[in-house]
Amino acid sequence: MNMHVSDAAPDPAIRASTRGARVVLRGLEKSFGAHRVLHGIDIDIPAGQFVAIVGRSGCGKSTLLRLIAGLDQPAAGTVDPGGEIVRLMFQEPRLLPWQRVLANVEVGLAHADRQTRTRRSQDVLAQVGLTGRGGDWPAVLSGGQKQRVALARALVGQPTLLALDEPLGALDALTRIEMQELIETVWREKGFTAIVVTHDVTEAVALADRILVVEDGRIAMDVQVDVPRPRRRGDAAAAAIEGRILDRLLTRQATFSA
Amino acid sequence: MKRFLPWIVPGLLILVWQAAGQTGMLRAQILPMPTAVASAAWTLARTGELWSHVEISAWRALTGFAIGGGIGFALGMANGLSRLSEAVLDSTLQMVRNIPHLALIPLVILWFGVDEQAKIFLVALGVFFPIYVNTLHGVRSVDRHLLEMGRAYGMTGRQIFLRIVLPGALPSVFVGLRYGLGIMWLTLIVAETISASSGIGYMAMNAREFMLVDVVVFAILIYAALGKLADSIARWLERVCLAWNPVYAKAR
Repeated sequence: MNMHVSDAAPDPAIRASTRGARVVLRGLEKSFGAHRVLHGIDIDIPAGQFVAIVGRSGCGKSTLLRLIAGLDQPAAGTVDPGGEIVRLMFQEPRLLPWQRVLANVEVGLAHADRQTRTRRSQDVLAQVGLTGRGGDWPAVLSGGQKQRVALARALVGQPTLLALDEPLGALDALTRIEMQELIETVWREKGFTAIVVTHDVTEAVALADRILVVEDGRIAMDVQVDVPRPRRRGDAAAAAIEGRILDRLLTRQATFSA
Repeated sequence: MKRFLPWIVPGLLILVWQAAGQTGMLRAQILPMPTAVASAAWTLARTGELWSHVEISAWRALTGFAIGGGIGFALGMANGLSRLSEAVLDSTLQMVRNIPHLALIPLVILWFGVDEQAKIFLVALGVFFPIYVNTLHGVRSVDRHLLEMGRAYGMTGRQIFLRIVLPGALPSVFVGLRYGLGIMWLTLIVAETISASSGIGYMAMNAREFMLVDVVVFAILIYAALGKLADSIARWLERVCLAWNPVYAKAR
């Protein structure tokens, strides 16, 4: 699989002002029944930033993403996704099995005319490394390829905000790394704001500009990842950040079991 | 070679049957020889009697199927999509479903006499339930994740129905369709045998009065052939419509 970071990727400052959405959350709360899942969430995400939300399972990180993406409504507080086009990528590819790959990508571009739809969808398929697979049924694709189609579907509508809910959770280790690189590449090219939920701290450090650690429904840590891109696996600065976050997550667990 | 394997047993059976008739072990009044049945078929086909009976039977079957299947499909969709519609209708339908539709024959004869309506009504009633139940089940089992994806990607209600609900329910609808086709022929055979003045069932009952056993046997074979034909068409449709599904794609 052949991936490259385009030399034409614009300067972060410029593309931030044009393509990304500034996301603002104020006093966000969400409960399911008597259980308060999220409370007191105030986050300001500048346009074009790549944010990772990490935390233990059940900490409310996926709920937070669903609120940002508008899939759920908050009990209190406001969400301003900062733009019209919010796209979601789920843990499962969620492709329509009865539509061929190209038609599945076109789902992300419902309002354009047929010609534009087909042309743009083919372009995006090429971008995710699936040139010529447009005529296949999803059933014949591997898990990683399906997730690429899902990524293409999310990208084809030129989102200002891309929300990813553990998009790589079900993939094997090598495919994961490939997909991480692919996501980083398109993010650098397009300049949208990206928010990825993950339980994998290594993945968060590899991808994000900023990591939010969610614990018991609140933001427990807000960490800037100032490691230059493209990032090398095993970078010392990155490892230090990863260590800090893991310490925090694991210490909490230790106090629980004590 | 593999293509002929399924035909070996039926072929042998026919040979044994013919031999039993030839040697006089099997009297023609009980079961006429295959050659006798074939010649009866030839005579019926030449006089045109056969085709008029097949035509009227097929018309009854398909009309009843279209009416019962259409209503079953529509109600299955409605009850699958709308909680209100289901709350109002489903338990009533489930109660009626438990009445064997053939038990209504005396009542149906009282209502419609031995006219066409009686047979079409019975066929429609018999076909209705398998299609209704399977359509409802199909709509219910559509992947919630896909519905959520459709909404998140800004699909309209109409698009969600056409692109997600309908194709998602289709495999189950086909199960109902094939099951309904079986019930369609079964109902028609019973209805035509009991009361009719035309059709394959009438042809068989009429032949019985004149002890034309070869015609009776032939009528039974026609039912078998028509049933098989309907099932083959349904399977072909299934393969075309569900080509995306590896289960059906492999069967090609």
